[in-house]
Amino acid sequence: MNNFATLNKVGTYDKVVYYTLTIEDEDGVNDKSLFEMFIEKHSKENYEKFHHIMTWLQIIGNEIGAKEYYFRQEAEISDTSALPPTGVDREPTYVEINNETGEEENKPNNLRLYCFRASETVVFLFNGDVKTENKAQDCDNVRPHFRLANRLTKLLEDKFKEKEILWNEDGTNIEFEEDLELNW
Amino acid sequence: MEQDKNMISGWLEQNPNLEIEKFISRNLAITEKVRKALEEKGWSKAKLAEEMGKRPSEVSKWLSGMHNITLKSIVKMEIALDIDLIQLEPKKEVEYVVFEVLKGFKYSENKDSDYKEYQEGFISMAI
Repeated sequence: MNNFATLNKVGTYDKVVYYTLTIEDEDGVNDKSLFEMFIEKHSKENYEKFHHIMTWLQIIGNEIGAKEYYFRQEAEISDTSALPPTGVDREPTYVEINNETGEEENKPNNLRLYCFRASETVVFLFNGDVKTENKAQDCDNVRPHFRLANRLTKLLEDKFKEKEILWNEDGTNIEFEEDLELNW
Repeated sequence: MEQDKNMISGWLEQNPNLEIEKFISRNLAITEKVRKALEEKGWSKAKLAEEMGKRPSEVSKWLSGMHNITLKSIVKMEIALDIDLIQLEPKKEVEYVVFEVLKGFKYSENKDSDYKEYQEGFISMAI
């Protein structure tokens, strides 16, 4: 089957512009972008973990910029990253109230949002899910998102090389034709 | 860059959670301050860990920006880096602001003479 994806803007902040992709196939039109699908599913199923990631994206966008050290490497065939970040050999955490003790606890945030950090100012957000195994390749939940994110990152990297996606004058944002398609 | 309505802000506006927002904002502010201090000192995270007698992975976790760092950990980093990570507002008792109007004072393009005239006028008023 011949698939293609189109580029859409998620939002512009002072320090980061976020984009996403909408995947369509020749049988029909998909009107939801990958990031919209992530919002739709995880805002309901994993509300707190999801809220942390959304807040994180906003604060990074407004105040800090997409610094490399705030993204976890998830590269397989291309330079894919994911949120939330982590320590060198530890799972990322988020804070949750323990309903029994009423105390705040550091809990692992195993919800993954796969992305491509093209620069400190441009990030492409894909989809993701709850990771239940150590390696993304071994986890039925995230493996399809991980693989797709790596494939899309590779396609985007190629579009940069082929100059179909260009950097603007000050290198803070990208420029591309409205009908740009990534085919595979 | 221009601010616009977007999927992230749109969702957060409809689902506000001040506690999460403040937690991540403060956490990132501390993390960035520590990273800047490390850069200025030319220290690695491993060096900071060594100074505090901690494992490097522990420090990496603190600096991820999402970990609930304890006050004790913050103080340890403050001592090791010799900086204040949390600055509390100094206690102010009363602060006076004085506005003076000088009779007969005219503003001209010559700022130096204006200032001199102002000072002389102020001194003579004070006397």
